Parts: sequence; C-alpha cells; structure tokens
Amino acid sequence: MNGVAVEAVRGIDLKVDSSEFVAIVGPSGSGKSSLLHMLGAMDRPTSGEVLFDGCSLAKMSDGQRTDLRARRIGFVFQTFNLLPTLNAYENVEIAMRLAGTGRPERKARTDELLERFGLSQRAKHQPRYLSGGERQRVAIARALANRPQLLLADEPTGNLDSKSGMDILVLLRNICTENGQTVVLVTHDFRAASFADRVLVLRDGRIRGEASIKGAKDTHKTLSQLLELELQ
Amino acid sequence: MFDIVFKNLLARKTRTFLCILTVLAGVFLVGITIMMNTWMYTVMTNELGRYMGKVYVQQSGSGYPPIDSSLPETVADDLLSQPNLGINVVESTPLLFLRVERGMMPFLQAKVMVIGVPVGSETVLLDDTEAVTGVNHFDTEAGSDKAILGEDLAQTLAASLGGVIQINNHSLKVIGILEKSAMATVNISAVVPLDTAQHIFARDGQISALLLTPKDVLQTDQMAAVIQGLYPSLEVSTQADMLQEAQKVMRTPLMYMSTMGITGVIVAVIMIMSTMLMAVTERTREIGTLRALGARRGKIVGMVVLESIFLALFGLPLAIGFVYAMSMVTQATSPSLELIMLISLFAVVAAIIGGLYPAWRAARVDPLEALRYE
Repeated sequence: MNGVAVEAVRGIDLKVDSSEFVAIVGPSGSGKSSLLHMLGAMDRPTSGEVLFDGCSLAKMSDGQRTDLRARRIGFVFQTFNLLPTLNAYENVEIAMRLAGTGRPERKARTDELLERFGLSQRAKHQPRYLSGGERQRVAIARALANRPQLLLADEPTGNLDSKSGMDILVLLRNICTENGQTVVLVTHDFRAASFADRVLVLRDGRIRGEASIKGAKDTHKTLSQLLELELQ
Repeated sequence: MFDIVFKNLLARKTRTFLCILTVLAGVFLVGITIMMNTWMYTVMTNELGRYMGKVYVQQSGSGYPPIDSSLPETVADDLLSQPNLGINVVESTPLLFLRVERGMMPFLQAKVMVIGVPVGSETVLLDDTEAVTGVNHFDTEAGSDKAILGEDLAQTLAASLGGVIQINNHSLKVIGILEKSAMATVNISAVVPLDTAQHIFARDGQISALLLTPKDVLQTDQMAAVIQGLYPSLEVSTQADMLQEAQKVMRTPLMYMSTMGITGVIVAVIMIMSTMLMAVTERTREIGTLRALGARRGKIVGMVVLESIFLALFGLPLAIGFVYAMSMVTQATSPSLELIMLISLFAVVAAIIGGLYPAWRAARVDPLEALRYE
C-alpha cells in the first residue's frame, strides 16, 4: 500500500477437508479476508501455494482460475454484491450462464434454489426491493447455483440484523450438512463461528489458535478459550 | 448477454438517450454526406455524359449550365456557316439557358429553368428522351407559345398535357411531358422555341451556348482547338474539359460536406467512449462481482462493446429516416440499400472504436479491487 509492503497473512498452514465447515475468526485487519480471497483463487500468495483438490492455483492461468471460480467455488459477500439491474431470478441464474449451463437446466436449478430459500414469490423483484436477509439468501442461492465444491462466505451476516443473520448461518450449516459442500466462513463474530465444525483464530496474519467444535464436549468453553486467544 | 446489456442501458435512461441522440446526429451527417456526394457526382456524370463527342461553346467563366453566359446569335450563324470546321450542322444547335428559380445544389444552381432551342433542333438537345404524354418536338411554328416540360418540372407545377403554365408572366401551353432524362437540366426545364425564350426574357438576338457535333467524332478535340483559336474570348470545351471544370466547382462543397461527415463520426465515437467510460467506472463493483463469479475478461470486453454497439444501433433507424427526409427536401435520389448498409457499418465501426478503450479498462478490473470499491 502506497509503496509499502504489508504482509496480510504469513506462515499460514491450513488444510480444509471436503464437506468440512471451517470458520476463520479474527478482528479487523487480521488477514482473514485476504486468506479467503487466496482460497477462492482471487488472489495469489507472495510465497507458498494454494492447492485446490491437489492442483496448485499458482500454476493456473487467469482464465483457468476464472473458470474454477465459475464452476467449483461459490462466493457470498458481506455486501451481497447482487447485480442491481437483474431481478432475484436473474441474479441466481447469472452464475450458471457464466458457467455455460443450458437454459432448461438453468431454469430448473434456479426455481429449485428460490423455492428452497423461500424466494419464489420474490423472484421478479430487483435487489433494491428486497430486504437484507432476502438479498443474502439470493446471494447464497447464486453461490450454490453451480453446485460448487467450496463455498466461501466473507462476513455474510455483517450487514444483517441478528434474526436474519441467524437464518443465514443456519442455511450455511444445512448446506454443509445436507449437501456435503465444504464451507469456509470468515467472521469477527464468535457466535457465528459456533456453527462451524472447526474454528481458526487469525490475528496479525497468523493463526493463533485452532479448535474443533464438532463433537466437543463443551462448545462454549472451547469458544471462550479461542476468544481469549484473539484478545491477547 | 444481450438482455443484461439492454438492462444496463435502460438503467441510465437519460444518459443512454443523450448518447443515442449524438450518435444519431453523427450517423445522419455521415449518411447525408455520402448521399449528397454520390448524388452530385451521379448528376454530374449523367449530365455531362450527354456531351461525349460534342463541343460546347459559351462565354468564358460562365460555368455549367451556362445560365450567366450571353453570346450574340450571330456567333452561331457564323460558326455554323463555316464549311471547313467539320461541324455537323444538322446535329448542332444554339441554346438559351434561363433560370426561373434558384436551386440549392452547387452543380445545377437552378430549381426551375427554361431552355430555348430552335424549332427542329429539339432532338439535338433532348437526344433520345421521349415524351410520356404529348410530343417531344415543336412543329414548324416558330415563336409559338408552347412548352415541353421535363418530368420534375411537370410534377413541381402539377402541369398536365394541354394545360397552361406561367413563366415570367407569360402563358405557355404544354404540348408534351418528357420521361425522366439522364440530364438533370432537362428534367427541371421547360423547353420552348428559342425565339419564344428570347422574347419572354428580353434576350432578343442572344444565346447562352452552342452545342456542336463534329462530322467525325474522332476529330472532336481538333475541332474544339480550331474553334478556340478562332474565338479566343470564348470558352470552347469538350466533355473532358467540362468534367474537369465541374469537378473543380464541386471540390469545395464536397470537401466541406466530407469534413462535416467526418466530424459527425468523431463526435459519435467520443460520445460513445465517454458514455461507456462513465458506465464502466460506475459499475466497477458489478464488473468485479462478475469476474469473481467466473466471467472471463473476454466476456467483460464483449459486454462493453455490445453495449456500445446497441447505443449506435438504437439511433440508426432514426438517422436513416432523417436521411430519407433530407433526400425528399433536396430532391436528391432516395438512399440506396448500399448506402443504408454503408452508414450502418459506419455506426457499428464507430461504436466498436468508441467502446474499445472502456472495454479494455473494464477487462482490467481486478475482482478484489472492485469488491473493495466504495
């Protein structure tokens, strides 16, 4: 930045298993979004490598990384990032259009997702006519449209009220549990992180702590210990 | 992605509308320039094509048609009576050109004309132009108040066979209406007996020009040179000379019109580029989102260029309509299919050129930077 090198993340050694729900927690500037962007083939590490299904992202061309994002990775953003000129139906469909899916399959899949997320009645509405929760559900539906192996969610509840945020987290949990999709959630909220199987604490670009919540006897205690790590 | 591009244009209606208007004006200027240039060139070559193998004698510097030329009729008598000049007297005639109403075009300079031709010499002027109604020649009555109308003049005056028209407060009976001639001057003229024309316009004993046919067409240039030598104060021209002179006359207006057309294209390109640059800047986050979702750079370029082409094409039908309207007003030929295709091509090329730089900027949008964009 401004000619000064800033290390967003360093010394990260992370493995995410298939069908795992991992939450990355940390304060602002801890490097969690930078890490997410590297996982999502939108950024490249200065050193080291990122492997997706055993393939190094660094060896891929820009076109190959773009295709990877189209077909195998889904993104959910804090600010929803829906296209304002398209309605809810078209926003979900666009992901499949970019992946080259045929029209009949697009229609069937879009209808299915809108139905699943309770958005069928809102399909013809543009984002400006949807509530925050509805917009984020459209964004999640869009992210799932191509049945990605990996779903990356960057502060998906950041702009939502607590009830809507909770609904979204439940959705993400169910996506992982029912569909077997791998979910990586970035959040600053430990309550959100409690929906995950495993929680990583990031601070100053490094992993400060890690704990598996799934199967933990005392989830609350585990999270409290991680919170202390974050605050240190 | 046609629907997405279309929606993007509709999202900024005022800006889109203003851009379309500018493109419309630019395309219209190109269309009208090409149409008028082509029309003037066609009129010129058709008109002067009539004079292949002929020699034209008129007052120096009087242009074509020689409305401002004034020669004594005795020049015609003198020239036509000389046996050694190789003139085919039967196929040669004096002519009197008179302007009744001014025209807009630099080449013709008249909208309504009268051409005075001696009785019996009508075919020398009219060549093989037949009458669609009535006759294309006068009978042997000299000085008669009769007129043979060119097609365009008959329509302008709503004249019919047997009717009477008024020229310079003088009544003339219509004895024939001609078919469309290759000569524009004939189409806009009332052909009357020479002495009648001289009387109506108080030009007794005067003519505008002499149209001479050589006995041997291969001797045209030589005949012209000899006559020029005999009458150094007059302008003696072959078809080649007349074509050269006409091109000189038309050079300046053609250049002005071409400049107008080029300016129109440049303005259209700049307007499209400006509009699309604004659109790309405003939609940086959207472009970043599309890239994050898996849109390749080529697709982004295609969307921006397509949006530019839409801007050009939306204005195209109206531009073509205005070109048609202009052709009616100027009485030029209607735009041909080739012209319509040419100005459509201009519009598309202008759109592509105008859209290329914004498309390049859009393709360079980094998804990460775009997603951080506020």
